[in-house]
Amino acid sequence: MDNLSEMLKGILEGIVLEIISRGEIYGYEITKKLHALGFQGIAEATVYALLLRLEKNKLVHITKKPSDMGPPRKFYTLNERGFEELAAFWAKWDFLSERIHLLRTNGGENNV
Amino acid sequence: MFSHEMKEKIKQFAKEQAPYYLEEAEMTYMEKLRRRTGETKSKLMAKLAKFKSRSETAMEAENDMVLYMSDYMKDLMEQGLSEQEAFERAKEELKFRSETTKSADLQERIVAHYHHMDIADYEAVGLFYGAFVFLGISIGALIGFIGSGGWEMFLSGGWIRTLIGAIIGFLIGTGLGLLSNAIIVLKRKK
Repeated sequence: MDNLSEMLKGILEGIVLEIISRGEIYGYEITKKLHALGFQGIAEATVYALLLRLEKNKLVHITKKPSDMGPPRKFYTLNERGFEELAAFWAKWDFLSERIHLLRTNGGENNV
Repeated sequence: MFSHEMKEKIKQFAKEQAPYYLEEAEMTYMEKLRRRTGETKSKLMAKLAKFKSRSETAMEAENDMVLYMSDYMKDLMEQGLSEQEAFERAKEELKFRSETTKSADLQERIVAHYHHMDIADYEAVGLFYGAFVFLGISIGALIGFIGSGGWEMFLSGGWIRTLIGAIIGFLIGTGLGLLSNAIIVLKRKK
């Protein structure tokens, strides 16, 4: 779907955390997963920038493995803080999606 | 997979662009601290620099970008693009675009400028300029006037020397004004 980038801004971190939570993965592999999920519009730079942020905020554990390009390749897994952040993301998502669903089905009447 | 020349190009691109991304990533953390402490980003960055080596972090960000870009280029080449075409596309896609960091820096500089600005300094600079220019013109014109032979010679060609003296005096006055401006700026910087 096109023009999703604005809506995705707030939730992309949660999506990427979920992808990482499924098992060890490296940077561009995440981009490919996102594309396979249908998020074609996400710029390649966005994922690179997001991974730097996750690392900076200490949400991931990193394992370095040799690569054919010279520098070691980083493989990401979630650490405890990352799992907590992911759980918080899904809690917010559940709340938001429930409210949006209510709004869409009956205009939010009697459910405030 | 890539030619030696291409590997160098990728490294060069990563070296140029990765610091911007790294800075933006650090902003997230710094913003939280800034909100909490009310300190400016530059002060916080200076504090942070004391505790860790940034060069290692920067090198890692560069390496990450080299690998990320290479993976992306390989993907594009599998889709049929040439090495050069893949590089151009990857370069375009991975070029840092966010203005957040740059505008935050600019805003910070403006805040710092006005924070340190003293209206008296500006007044002093203006007065120095005015005083030096008036003095320069007066002294220059007077020397030219007397040197050319005074009033008797003034109308028969002496006025040119008076004019030249005034112009030279104006230039000297402006130069002294600039000097006084520089001295005030340097003093304020300390």
